Formats: sequence, C-alpha cells, structure tokens
Amino acid sequence: MADEKRVIVVGGGLAGLAASVRIAEAGVPVDLFSMVPVKRSHSVCAQGGINACNEVARQQGYSEYQHFDETLIGGDFLNDQHPVLEMANWAPKIIDLLDRMGVPFNRSSEGFRDLRLFGGSLFKRTHFAGATTGQQLLYALDEQTRRFAAEGKVNKMEFWEFLWPITEGEGEDKRCVGIVAQDMRTMQIRSFRADAVVMATGGCGLVFGKSTNSIICTGGAASRCYQAGAWYGNPEMIQVHPTAIPGADKCRLMSESARGEGGRVWVPKKKGDTRRPNDIPENERYYILEERYPKYGNLVPRDIATREIFDVCVNEGMGINGTNQVYLDLTHRDPEYLTQKLGGIMDIYEKFVGDDPRYTPMRIFPAVHYTMGGLWTTYTPGDYQPDQPMGEHKPGNPIPIDAQLGHGLTIGAHNNAMTNLKGLYAFGEVNFAYHGATRLGANALLSCIFDGLCNGVSVVNYVREGVEAPASELPQTLFDQAEKSEQDKHDKIMSSVNTGKGDQALNPYQIANELGEEMNAASTVVKTGPRLEKCLAKLDELWDRYTRMELGDGAMWTNQSLSFARSVGDMIILGEAIAKAGLLREESRGSHYRTDFPERDDDKFWKASVAKFNSDTNKSDIEFMPVKAGLVKLRPRNYGKVDSGTNKEKIPPKQVAEAKA
Amino acid sequence: MSNPDGPLQQHHFLLRRLHSLTGIVPVGVFLIMHLTTNSTIAWGGLNSRAHGDGWFDRAISTFQHEVTFINEAPLLLLIEVTLWVSIAFHSILGVYYAMSGKPNNGSYKYGGNTRYLLQRLTGYFGIFFIFYHIATLRWGWSFLVPGGTQWSHEYASSTLAAALQGSTTDGMQASGIAISIFYFVGVSALVFHFANGLWTAAITWGFTISRPAQKRWGVVCAGLGAALMLMAWASVIGFATLDYDKARAIEESMLSGEEYPAELHDETHAETAAVEHDNTDG
Amino acid sequence: MSDAEAHAFDADMRRVNRKKAVEGRSVIFKIKRCDGPGKPNRWESFKVPVEQGANVISSLKLIAANPITTEGTKTTPVVWDSGCLEEVCGACTMVINGRVRQSCSCLIDEYAPLEGDVITLEPMSKFPVIRDLWVDRDRLFNALTRVKAWVPIDGTYNMGAGPKESPDHQQMRYALSECMSCGCCLEACPQYNKEEDPEKWDTSFVGAHAISQARLFNEHGTGKRLKGERYDALSGPGGVNDCGNAQNCVKVCPKGIPLTESIGAVGRGTTVHAIKRFFEGKK
Repeated sequence: MADEKRVIVVGGGLAGLAASVRIAEAGVPVDLFSMVPVKRSHSVCAQGGINACNEVARQQGYSEYQHFDETLIGGDFLNDQHPVLEMANWAPKIIDLLDRMGVPFNRSSEGFRDLRLFGGSLFKRTHFAGATTGQQLLYALDEQTRRFAAEGKVNKMEFWEFLWPITEGEGEDKRCVGIVAQDMRTMQIRSFRADAVVMATGGCGLVFGKSTNSIICTGGAASRCYQAGAWYGNPEMIQVHPTAIPGADKCRLMSESARGEGGRVWVPKKKGDTRRPNDIPENERYYILEERYPKYGNLVPRDIATREIFDVCVNEGMGINGTNQVYLDLTHRDPEYLTQKLGGIMDIYEKFVGDDPRYTPMRIFPAVHYTMGGLWTTYTPGDYQPDQPMGEHKPGNPIPIDAQLGHGLTIGAHNNAMTNLKGLYAFGEVNFAYHGATRLGANALLSCIFDGLCNGVSVVNYVREGVEAPASELPQTLFDQAEKSEQDKHDKIMSSVNTGKGDQALNPYQIANELGEEMNAASTVVKTGPRLEKCLAKLDELWDRYTRMELGDGAMWTNQSLSFARSVGDMIILGEAIAKAGLLREESRGSHYRTDFPERDDDKFWKASVAKFNSDTNKSDIEFMPVKAGLVKLRPRNYGKVDSGTNKEKIPPKQVAEAKA
Repeated sequence: MSNPDGPLQQHHFLLRRLHSLTGIVPVGVFLIMHLTTNSTIAWGGLNSRAHGDGWFDRAISTFQHEVTFINEAPLLLLIEVTLWVSIAFHSILGVYYAMSGKPNNGSYKYGGNTRYLLQRLTGYFGIFFIFYHIATLRWGWSFLVPGGTQWSHEYASSTLAAALQGSTTDGMQASGIAISIFYFVGVSALVFHFANGLWTAAITWGFTISRPAQKRWGVVCAGLGAALMLMAWASVIGFATLDYDKARAIEESMLSGEEYPAELHDETHAETAAVEHDNTDG
Repeated sequence: MSDAEAHAFDADMRRVNRKKAVEGRSVIFKIKRCDGPGKPNRWESFKVPVEQGANVISSLKLIAANPITTEGTKTTPVVWDSGCLEEVCGACTMVINGRVRQSCSCLIDEYAPLEGDVITLEPMSKFPVIRDLWVDRDRLFNALTRVKAWVPIDGTYNMGAGPKESPDHQQMRYALSECMSCGCCLEACPQYNKEEDPEKWDTSFVGAHAISQARLFNEHGTGKRLKGERYDALSGPGGVNDCGNAQNCVKVCPKGIPLTESIGAVGRGTTVHAIKRFFEGKK
C-alpha cells in the first residue's frame, strides 16, 4: 500500500467524479477530496442539458465537426481548438455512457433519447433529463463513485478543504506531489502524498457576490494553485447568464432550456407600463431578441442575450416598471408539457417567487454564472492537422473529419489538461481551455465529463510512466514543511479573533460583500478602462483591510468563519487578476465587452491572457499568449443581427416592430 | 437488540410477515366472526316474524344458538389455543416493534401519522382488553368482574349482561358503567387496529403500490371498519342494556326444551306492539 | 385532502402571508446552538431586518456578519450547512418552526410576515450534531451503499447506448431520481431513530429515501441485475419491513417523490423474492 502510486482528485463535481471513476477503473487508487458530500456539488445546479451530435441531427446535416465549430464561434475563437474538437468527437459516446449509467434522459414516444434546442445552434442537439440535467448526471457519477468506494478503490474525503498543492523541484522540473488539506469539522491540517493531483474545483462565482453559483464556488482552490505558481488563463472571461431570478442571497438560474422550449424574452413597449403581463396585448410587447436577431431569436448565445437585456433595462430604461427586470414568457406553451420538460425550474420559480410560470411570465435579469477562465492547461494535439485552417462550416457541408478519421488530442498524452506545474491537472470548469470568451449552453456538463474521462487516462499514464520517484518515497520533511506553512497561515488568521475593536469594516463577511458589489459593477456585462482601474484601487483597499481582518469565531472546532475568511483573501487575489486582465484586454470579445473598445481586435488580442502570480507584489503579471488554433479560420461573430442594440444610433423598438411588420 | 445473529435478526423477514399475517388470519378473521356472533343480540331478532316470536326472544335465542354451535365445534380447544398463540405472538412482537418507533405527532399533524400513533395505542390497549376479556369470560377469573358473575355458555346472554352491568339483580351499577365503557373503548380500539392494519398490510405485502390503489383500498378498509364498528357497538350496547331476568328466563326454557312462559311471551309481544303503536302516533 | 389540494392550500397560505408581509420589519430568529459533539445545547435569539426576498439563508448570513443576540451579547456566527441555495443539493436541511425543510427555500415573507414574528431553527434531530445547525448525515449515504444504489455497468469505455425506455417509464424513474439525499423523509419518520454508532447502521432502518433508490435501480434495464441483492438487504433488519406506514415521508419530501409507492413496490418485490427463494430451495 505504501509504495502504491496514488492520485488525488480535488472536487467531487462532474469533472472530479468522472476523473475518479476513470482513474480508479484503470487500477490507480484515488483519494477524492471535497468540501461537501460529493452528491451536493455545484454540478447539481446545471439545468438545461448536455450537447452532442446525434443521429437525428446528423441526418439533417449536423455533425461533431459542426458542434466543434459552434463551440468555437460561441467562444469567439478564444478556445483552444484541439481539445474542443476532441470533446465534440467524444460527446455522443459520453451520452451513451451516461445512458448506460442510468441517467433518466427524456424520451421520445418511441423510446429514443429526446432532444431540445439550445443557444448557439439551429439544430436540436441537446440531451436532457427534465430541467435538472446536471443533477441527474452528477447522481449517475456519484453512484458509480459510491460503487468504487464500496470496493475500496476510491477513498472519499468529504468535508476536507484543499489548502495548497505540495511541489518539489524548481523551474521546468517543478512537479506536484501532494496537497495540504484541512478537515472542516476537526480543523486538523495535514498533508497527503500523491503522484498526480487533479483539480476539479469549478468556478469562482462568489467573487462577484450574488451569482447563480453555490456558496462553495469561491474559486479558493484555483486561487491557491495560482498563488502556488500555476498559471491562470483568461481570468476576465466571466459568463453572465441572461435569465436568473434576483434574490437576497443568490440569483437563481432559469435555464436556457426555458428559451430552448420556446420561452420568449420581452418587455412592454410602453415604458413604466404597470399592467399585469397577461393583460398586455401581443402588439404592445417588444420581443427583444426575436426582433434584434431574427435568425437565432431567443437562442442567441448567452453573452449576447445578456447584453441586449442589459441594454434594454439600463440604457433604454424599458425594464418592467422601470426596474432591472424583463419577462421570460412560457405561458403560450401547454402547462402539462412544461411540467414534463421543465418541471425542475418551474418549481424553483414558484417556490422562490410565488407565481406559477406556467400561467404568469417570469421576471428575470442577468446574473454571473460561469467562469470560462481558469487554470491554464496544455495538451498534445492529435493527428488532425490540416494544412490550412478550415473556413466557415455550413450545415450539410461534407464533414472534414470525424472521430474515426482524426483526433484533436493525442489520447493519453501525459500533458493533456496538465497545468504548467507537472503532475497538477485541471479538469472541468477550472480548466480554461474549452469555452473561450463565452460558453455555449449545455457545453459545460460535456466539458466536465470529457475532461474526466478523456484526460483521466492521461493522469493514469503520467502516474504509471512519467513519474520517476513515487511520492511515497519522497522525504517526509517536504510534506511537514508544507503542512507547517499552512498551519502558520491558519494560526495567523485565528490570532485575529477579538484583537480589534470590533470594527465592522474589518469583518470578513463585510469585505466579501464589498468585493462582490465592486466586481459585479465593474467587471461583468459592460466594462470600461476607467471603471476597471477604479475597481483595482478598490481591491487594494479591500486587501489592506483583509490583512487587518478580525475573525468573529475563535472555535477550534468546525469553524466556518475561518474557512470563509481564508477564501476571502483568495477571492481578492483572483479578483485582481480578473480586473487587470479585463483592463489590459482592450477589445470586446464574447462575454468581455468594453464600451471604450467595442470591436474585436484579432491582431492584438486573439490571445489568451495568462495571469502569473507575483509573490513580491502579491498581484498578477498578465501575459498574452497566442491561442492554440490552426484548425478553423477566424471569422466575425454576429449571429445574423439586424438592428444593433449596442450601436449608439438607437432605433426606437416600436419602429423596428413596424419595420418588421 | 441489534445482535446480528439473534433469532429476531436471522428470521427478521419471516417474523415480520408472520406478525402481519397473524393479525389478519386468524386474529382478524376471528374478530369478524366474533363480532358477527355477538351482534346477533342486536340483529338476531330480524327473523322473529318468521319464527312467530318476539324480537327480544329471537335475539336471545339466536345468540344462544350461535354460542352453542361454537361450543360444540370439533377440536374447539385446538382452535382456541391457536387463537391464543396467534394473539400472543402478534402482541409480543407488536409491542417489540412498536417500541422501536418514536411518534412525532406534535410536529407532523398528518392523517397518516395520526393513524400510525393510534395503531400503536390501540395495540397496547387492545392487549390489555383482550387479556381481561378472555381471563374473565373464558378462564373464569370472576374475581375481576364486579358482581363476580361467572360467564356460562349455557346462559350466554344473561351472564354476559350481568358481567357488563356489574350485577345479576339490580341492573346497571356504577362499576358496570365503567366496565361497559371499558368494553366500548376496547372493541372500538380493536376494530380500528384491525381495519387500519388491513390497510397497512396491503402496502407491506405489496398489494397496493400506487397512491390511487392505496386510496381505494383505504376506502374498502374504512367501510369494513365502519361495519365492524357498528357491530361492535351494537353488541356492547345490546348486552349492557339487556334485561337479565327476561334473558335468563328465555335461556332456561331453551335449556329445558320447553316453551317459555306464556306471560313473558305475551308481555314482549305487547311491548313490541306498544312501541310500534307509539311510532305510528309520532 | 388530496396531495394536489394540500399543495394548492399550502401555496395559497404562502401567498396570503406574502401579501401580508410588512416592509422594513425585523423578525426574531431563535436558534438552537451547540458548540460540538457532547457539548450542551443553548438557545440564542437574533433580531434580523428583512430584505426584499429574504430567506433563512440570507438571514443567517446577516447574523454571521454581525452576530449580536437580542440581549446585546456578542456571540459567534451560527454554523450551518448549505450549498446550491435553490433546493437541489439538499445540504441546508434543518428543522424550522418544528418541521423539517430546506432553509434556502424558506422565505421569511411566508413564515414571518409581521414585525417581531419568531422563526425557530433547530438542527435535524435524527443525526449527530457537528456544530449548531450542521449535522452529520453519513448514515444517509451509507444506506445508499447498503442497497447498492447504482447501475452495475461493465466500465466507462464506449459500448453503445443504454436500454431503450418508454417516456412514461422515464418519467417514473426521473421522479425517483430527483432525490437529493436531504434527509427530510428520515427526520419526519417516527421509525427512523438517531444512531451514532456506525457499526449499527447496517441493521437500523434504512429509511424511505434508500428504499426508493433501490426501486429506482430495480427499474433500470441493467440496474435490475442487482435486484436480488437489494431485496436481500431490504428484507433484513432495518429493511422495508421496519416501515410503520405513518407516511410522513411523502408529505415532507421537498421533491414530491412518491416514497410510499416505492415502499409498496419494494414490499411487493421482497414478498415475491422471498417466495421465489423458498421454492427455489436456496438458503
């Protein structure tokens, strides 16, 4: 046992569980660390579905290649192209596997898997299980993990918080050989050895205060890796989901599937119309997305929908009753049908708002949703290497490749999804590679599971072939030092209890609130240089207060305040990288929209921004590195827009409507 | 309690299902028969016209016939012992199982939860009641009966009435009221326990799965329970209000094989007639 | 009252309370606290201003940011478990005003519409308290292992699609598959008792959620291969026979899972299983 090579997986969401299952299946023991019982991971919140080419779409001219192409244009060409191609190739097989695991995908009357429309595509290519697809997929993987745990192949460490990656060597040879973690109940801090560490720790929505994320999505783990020397790619790329229910504690997601199933976004044409939505006749409604994007209608990618809703409310003041809200209307659909296809989100809306969305249009507004950026990773490209990048792919065109003919990745190469630190991998949302500047709906679940299944093999190969000295043979002092360093940080925070005068400004919860408000205001839907500079100054101030922070709980048992306070520092550090990369990227691309630079600038910025932590300044050094492309040619991204709501010559919506009529 | 190798654990499934089964067969079936027999005191007079005698006479004699019939059944003791063993088995396991739960009706005021609690309470009370019932009327522990009446299968109605009333001579006594109420509550508890048990048994054995099925079977069980409840109440009220002397006279005459005294006969006829007359007036 | 009517009634009550809700009010949170296993319980009250759309979680966050009791004493932030805050992860389950539910979906307007209304929060009583409102639900997950709640697939390599399935059957399985292991059904079950000794978990009552999960996997084309093993587990001590049919589980289930139907189905399954085994002469 002692000299057996082991892998540590941090995070028990879809990516972490898929990786655990795959690695354990290959015979390498896995220690799975999670802050929560893995069944409660944030993946449960994913609602709409999971994309994959399928037979029906294929016979209408769709293909894996087109899925790949859509993902790239959705991401405004900031994605790493090779892994995306491989992901699209794997997608149908991943669906099959999930099907075999027992995921209750909705069915057609003949018993085949049902499909729905989703943003960024004109084909039905999204598989779904009600409106809780993420939950259902997570449960299927949770069950398989439980099976491996029962057989002793996966060792679950639940309620353990990841604190730091342990590394040995310097420069090129620096490799990750374990982690330091803390038991959230007993507060014990200890080190664990591993020959490879997989980070599958998700996004950092809590940096923005209220988001659609779970309260565990602080990005703390990613931030700690970044502080330990892992690079962080495209930090400024944060997806704001167009349809969420604003709430006091978080913004609850109303899935894109609501639009996929026919949901229409509108506001009353008359500003400040106080009538109830059902009383407003059809011709007095402004269907924002349908009128601005006749081709894709309500199914434009999220960043576009978000900006248009934002524009209508904030710039034109046309939100419902002057508030920052618009209607998402499903009342024209059969209530029975809605229950069957969207029951999960219908219930959420009814429970939290009180109205039944089957009969009353929902009131929604955009909210921070997904972190496209994340730990920078590399890979070995596969055998599909065209001499010239392909031009625009049209539905029904001959497919340049398929899974049999060409691979995007060399499957099983040691460095697939590996960060710049050897042996430290990043899977799922915390991997920056797949989604570029905007993630298409229903691609997130896919990228998580793909990482786990495909790149899990890389981890196994690396551990078996690439590791010279097993972690179990390394000197104990290395691990003791790492443990002590974390213990010291912990003790420093604990020593702040009751040292001050009870200054509310030094309360970690207060600091986090201000961080969230500032980041949300400066670095989400609409950004400008001056505002981001102000944001960076505010972050300096918050960091200063953080260093003098006073903890409210001195208990040495299950101290949640301590855990939270620690993550506040990590969030500020990550926030700095997000704001600075946003400031330096002087263009608009995907979710990143700068009013002072409204156009995409491929010459200067068709590049990934890579944040490297500078421990001297405690801040990021941003470097722009070329996007790993070469498979598909750059082209403009406009989704057939007719009237630009974002260009400054506004046409009153009424005129647009008349022009259309 | 949780010794994994104990007999309760090894034969857990069998014991659990036997517990459920014994509640229905033989105990539940016997309950139906027993209440049918006893309630003849209320409906036994239905065929009085055919026999050309009075309602009251016919009720007493029907009940007496039933008792005599049962008493002459072959292997009566075997049947009785089977019943006693079944009841004891159902009771002991039932108490053991019931003790494993912790009712929470204060917080969760649902119908099902109330029935859950009642099932256990009626079980406990039922055991106590059945013991008293058998001890006093079958095993002859007459020291537990106010007035000390010894039940006799030859004088089935009259001695039963006396046991309920607390006296053979002076009609209903204060102690008799207590015993009658005790009986009233006891039989009600047992009928509820049986009807509700029948409903839950259908889930335990897997006869009813869907909610509509459980609901439909619930209606059937409630109907059966209501009918049994009426019979049970009729029996208790019938015997608690029975005229000891008249009943005794009818039983004497049945026993001696003679016609019962003509004046009694006429008197009951006259009473019935008077009642009927009153009714038509009203 | 049918379940649908009860649901409508409940929704009406909540709507009425929401209409009554006074703006700018403060409400009192009375919280049962405990510093750790073996430590004594104590009650503390906090006065909390009600924001627009506030729920129990947002109120606990306000308390955490400024933990001062109604007596004016400074205390520690309350510890509680939570995750998604939209009632799909199951983490934030606790006993609110005496009844178990998720705290994220517990809107203050619906529970305490008037100034000074009191909301009591307690940890679930069927699990060991870790601290304050946070309990250790390991036993709940252990029950899933006990009933082998998984599909025994050959492996994660590509082997084509899974079994075909009718939409009705999918809807039935989906309803069961929504179980988020929150533990409401266990907290409200009079037959499910606190058991701190993991050695005894395998013989104590598994609870409605695990019985329902067993049914879910028995209904899957491949999952049914372990049917016999699941029925063996559920026939033994702590299995489906320990159910007392109080049927609170189905009433408190936040996902409306037909738990009592699952209990009936597994009851039937174990009956048939036992008869088969008797006549097949095994064991």
